[in-house]
Amino acid sequence: MSALLEVSELRVSFGALVAVDDVSFTVPTGAIMGLIGPNGAGKTTTIDALCGFLPAAVGSIRLGGVALDGLRAHQRARAGLGRTFQTVELFDDLSVRENLLVAAIRPRWWSPFVDAVAPRRGTRGVNVDDAMGLMGLDAVADARPTELSHGQRQLVGVARALATRPRLVLLDEPAAGLDPAETAVLGRLLASLPAAGVSVLLVDHDMNLMLGVCDQLTVLDFGRVIASGPTAAVRTDPAVIAAYLGGGA
Amino acid sequence: MSDYLQQSLTGLGSGAVIAVLAIGIVLTFRASNVINLAHGAMGMYTAYVYFGLRNFDLAGADRGGDLVLPIIGLPTSVHVVDRPTVVTALVIALGVAAILGFVVYGLVFRPLRSAPPLARIVASLGVFLYLQSVMQLRVTAAGGGAAALQLTSLLPDGVVHLGDSAIPTASFVLAALAVAVAVGLGLVFRLTRFGLATRAAAEHEKGAVLTGLSPDRLGYLNWVIASVLAGAAVIAIAGMSSKLDPIDTSLLVVPALAAALLGGLNGFAATTVAGLAIGMSQSGLSTFQARAHWLPDFLPKGGLRESLPVILILIAITIRGSHLPTRESIVETRLPASPTPRHVFAWAGVLTAAAAVGLLTLDAQWRLAIVVSTIATLIALSSVVLTGYVGQISLAQYAFAGLAAFITARLAVNGMAFPWAPILGVTAAVGVGVLVGIPAVRVRGMALAIATLGAAVAIEALVFSAPTFNGISGVPRPRIFGIDLGFLSTGADNFRAAFGLFALLVLAVSMVAVANLRRSPSGLRWLAVRSNERAAAAVGIDVSSTKLLAFAVSSLLAGLGGSLLAYELPALSPQQFLVIGALAILALTYLGGIATLSGALLAGVMASGGIVTRLQGGATGDASSYQFAISGLVLIVVAILSPDGISLAARRGFARWRRA
Repeated sequence: MSALLEVSELRVSFGALVAVDDVSFTVPTGAIMGLIGPNGAGKTTTIDALCGFLPAAVGSIRLGGVALDGLRAHQRARAGLGRTFQTVELFDDLSVRENLLVAAIRPRWWSPFVDAVAPRRGTRGVNVDDAMGLMGLDAVADARPTELSHGQRQLVGVARALATRPRLVLLDEPAAGLDPAETAVLGRLLASLPAAGVSVLLVDHDMNLMLGVCDQLTVLDFGRVIASGPTAAVRTDPAVIAAYLGGGA
Repeated sequence: MSDYLQQSLTGLGSGAVIAVLAIGIVLTFRASNVINLAHGAMGMYTAYVYFGLRNFDLAGADRGGDLVLPIIGLPTSVHVVDRPTVVTALVIALGVAAILGFVVYGLVFRPLRSAPPLARIVASLGVFLYLQSVMQLRVTAAGGGAAALQLTSLLPDGVVHLGDSAIPTASFVLAALAVAVAVGLGLVFRLTRFGLATRAAAEHEKGAVLTGLSPDRLGYLNWVIASVLAGAAVIAIAGMSSKLDPIDTSLLVVPALAAALLGGLNGFAATTVAGLAIGMSQSGLSTFQARAHWLPDFLPKGGLRESLPVILILIAITIRGSHLPTRESIVETRLPASPTPRHVFAWAGVLTAAAAVGLLTLDAQWRLAIVVSTIATLIALSSVVLTGYVGQISLAQYAFAGLAAFITARLAVNGMAFPWAPILGVTAAVGVGVLVGIPAVRVRGMALAIATLGAAVAIEALVFSAPTFNGISGVPRPRIFGIDLGFLSTGADNFRAAFGLFALLVLAVSMVAVANLRRSPSGLRWLAVRSNERAAAAVGIDVSSTKLLAFAVSSLLAGLGGSLLAYELPALSPQQFLVIGALAILALTYLGGIATLSGALLAGVMASGGIVTRLQGGATGDASSYQFAISGLVLIVVAILSPDGISLAARRGFARWRRA
């Protein structure tokens, strides 16, 4: 498999604290890579840095061979890097359908002129109903995010990230707060993504989900990579067991 | 060179006043996380109390000792004591300042402690508008403006000779006092539990609770100290400069905000240094502009002086800002709800038809009222787009309108034909609007409100006061395809319906276009940026250009309103576009519902001189001051109780009533 995301020597420090320390790993095209590690290991910071939310980050990030360094967050998103947030962060003023629409539509410079005259033209031909169907969100399409359960909000967050048609989607604890049925829906969806051309970088604490869907694992501890590779190899790595999985895993 | 030295050192005095006001702003910010735009207005009121007490002519009784009351409905003043001494008057005035600080915090900002920034900004605008308009009324009622008050200085009036320059002793005394205040407060904050707790509260409210002091008590104490300091500072500057005015004095808050921001809204030392430096350089700049004959003549007198603090504000907040908020700084920023507009064409048709029938059948005064409301609606609509839809609090919309009005009028008077003069005027407004929007890409919330307030003051100082714009009249009648669209005429024919219909057409097209934008992907992006900039960037929305588009659209709307004003008003003067008008427009729009089209309509209908005024039987100068004062009060109440505005509150009430 060719490399889709290549991260090398990524480093983020907040003052004297080094949150991410020379992190390097590769996500192959079509892979579901799990990023695991104890709390405070730098998982979310890594995602923030990859997506351009931390201007202070140094290191090199390439997506499909193209360097993302120096690009702003929205430019990286347009380059094919989608993401969700641990705190979900939906657009509370928009309905669920609009949350997906606004992510799916790419404006051109003349779009505002068209929009002022023909408001519906911009959404013509943009289909987000399938995505909502896939996530079981049809019933709440016109609801506001604030009216949904936490699990539903998580799913809307994932659906919105996918609506941008990313090549790689970075999911930050998408299963947190989901009930077992919702987790199962999410797991099936994640497993189906590579076939649809979307690779995944997944952060979560639900080890059943992680071991079930991830074919690759990267383990972070205190901001450093302690192991990275196929799931089967990483889960038996003694360093990983000592740092994170514990004796019983 | 020694002239500059002399001027700059003289400026130490006003610098000290700016520094003390800035320290007050820092205190209230740290205690209750609000940047108090009414800080100068609060000091202004206290100064009127002091000079009212000292002044033997205020009530005409030649005994002094009258205390000016700031409450509508109560008498202008009550007599407290006969011929008070300086000390008595000062003690009473500062006591009143303490009560004012206590009341303003207790009634307004304590209930808003965890409200979104817009509500807090609007509430402080409400306090500003209220105090400023009430004092305008009271001072007029008391028999003339500041001229009637003898503004005697408390400070020694000698001079100190340094080389061959003579510098007023008062400047040094004031500077020393400002430093003493900063050092004193610095010690209190470093050494006492109160100070520690306030610093903890600024970081985190729970932090203060853990130190065992209630955040409430800290809030009250800080507000009282800030109000007393503001009062003392304004009394000092009014006495020294023999100038006290409800509007200009209240706007001392602008340089004070600059100093507070330069000090990072935190340290007293840095704030004081910044305040002194602003005062000195303002004073130096006045001399510079008076001397430097190579400066173009179109720069108004004092333009550099007034705009310096603003430029400092813009630089300070732009440098400190960032493109996206950080993970830690995300706070609850709920803005008034913005439902998708429905039945746009039906509404636009019905309302336009109703107004058109009014224009064609009613008398001249009614035609004027309808046109005033039409134009005010356009300007209010610009706030709906920028503040309501995108959450960018701008206090500069009225200045954009004024810019378009002056440029349109000047070009038309100089002979440019009808559609071209307003087109250029509106284009200029859009250009400046986008320029002002550039810092907005990096700042948000309170800081942006301050930046745009600063921009409005700068436009006022640098452009509106320019000789070429001073008092333009005789703007040629607009005429297109042989139709006379002129507004003014004589006798019963005055305020012609043709112009009114044209203005209505402009408004109807603008309303439909804004409704379309709101319903289209552009509008979805606006609301997405409004609710969460980080998430917006994560789905590929260019937050910067989304904000700039909103600035462009909103200054276009304000510019259209301004260009219409150029033809509507018999004469244009800078006084018609003061910052206070901008505050009133934003206030009315917030009342109506800042994020809805009907909010803009309500604001237009309620605007001074508009339809509501006509229904009340016309307005005089006092009535409009009352209107400002009352809108100030209502604004505070709405900010606390119903942040979505009247139109949505009514819609919900109606929905409940239908269900019942």
